[in-house]
Amino acid sequence: MTNRTAPADKTEGKWKFGDLLRDARVRDRWEKVRKYFFLRESTYDMTNRCNIRCDGCYYYEGEKQFAPENRDPGSWRDLMRQEKERGITYVVLAGAEPSLVPELLETCFEIMPLGSIATNGFRLIPPAVGYKIHISVWGNDETSRRVRNAANLLERQLDNYDGDPRAVFVYTFTRQNVHEVGEVAERIAARNGKLTFNVFSAPVGYEGPLRHDRSSLLLTRRAMLETMERYPESVLFSSYNVAAHTHGQGLHALYGCSYPRRNASTDIGLGRSFRQYRADLTWDRSAACCVPDTDCDDCRHYAAGSAVVTARLFRHAADPDTFRSWLDYVDTYLSVWVMGYEKGENLCDRLVDPPGFSVE
Amino acid sequence: MSDVKDIEQHILRIAQIVIDELRLEDVTQETFDPDLDLVDELGIDSMDLATVALVLQDEYGVSIDEDDYPKLKTLRLIAEYIRTRLQEKAA
Repeated sequence: MTNRTAPADKTEGKWKFGDLLRDARVRDRWEKVRKYFFLRESTYDMTNRCNIRCDGCYYYEGEKQFAPENRDPGSWRDLMRQEKERGITYVVLAGAEPSLVPELLETCFEIMPLGSIATNGFRLIPPAVGYKIHISVWGNDETSRRVRNAANLLERQLDNYDGDPRAVFVYTFTRQNVHEVGEVAERIAARNGKLTFNVFSAPVGYEGPLRHDRSSLLLTRRAMLETMERYPESVLFSSYNVAAHTHGQGLHALYGCSYPRRNASTDIGLGRSFRQYRADLTWDRSAACCVPDTDCDDCRHYAAGSAVVTARLFRHAADPDTFRSWLDYVDTYLSVWVMGYEKGENLCDRLVDPPGFSVE
Repeated sequence: MSDVKDIEQHILRIAQIVIDELRLEDVTQETFDPDLDLVDELGIDSMDLATVALVLQDEYGVSIDEDDYPKLKTLRLIAEYIRTRLQEKAA
């Protein structure tokens, strides 16, 4: 699967980009993913309400939870038009619970055809809303009852989104639920559902039992790899996703977070274009990131990685395995976030070091 | 070669690389404004710029630091940056 022949021509000791693309499978994958380099995201809190209450929820931290709701479809339509005007091509509709305002989701979709919705899956989002739908899973039904105060949640999620091509189940590994992923994946796979992984990233100030430590991250790593191997048709993930999201260092330390909250530059990229709108349609650059009020040192969030790791193309174009791993990561991200994008077979099956770090 | 001619040659070659990599259809090497702001006016983003930078590295045999991306705003600025790196390499 991997090729470790010496570079034909080196630039200051590095592989040339052209050499990395010489392998036909690599070149094809590069051409496949680069078609989506036009994606430019912003995120939007749709409501300040939720129908369940979870331990460690990001929404009910910080100031954004106190923003009053704007439920006027006309205001949302205007916002979407303005966003399009300034170059936004992809929307992430999130907190607190978007399924409570289906009319606003439909309004957004009318203007912005590409996007995704983060939901607890308790209520079905109308089929007319053609976004990817990320359904949060925090463990088995017993754990959901304890941590999320919701009974039979997984069954309900599976029933709501049975056979729905929009749906991706997002299993968030916490310190307490690593051992439950097998049974959850089995149930999702039995219904031909798609599953990807998230790693619990503590909100600022959170010191509760869900927060990871080194030991739980290593257990998570093993569980991810085993689940990928057992359910290859269901799991959307790659070895490099595992390496990046279970590392002892968080994403910011490994890659340098590109979101405005940690990136002062407005020259180019997310620091220039990204906004995180609250439910009242205001935004605050100093707080803007994909999962606001996360403790940046503990951030291993799948949504953050999708942008932060992907943006680091340049440093991953270093050698064949590192570049293949990056392509796997981007291929995974697109399959999770973009309707109609099909994930390819991973090009690199070993755990590759993030540039400048050891995978441990 | 004079400095001005040197830069002009680089600009033409860099223009072609940008056209090829970004699949630009409404511009040629000769009509590409060397002072056009690639980010503000052409709308290229960080991933496009990273791709162009990788191809430029291959073309000129110099390394381009990620932190320098914001400096690479126009063809002329890229050409001057490349020329400086080539001079450093030759020194």
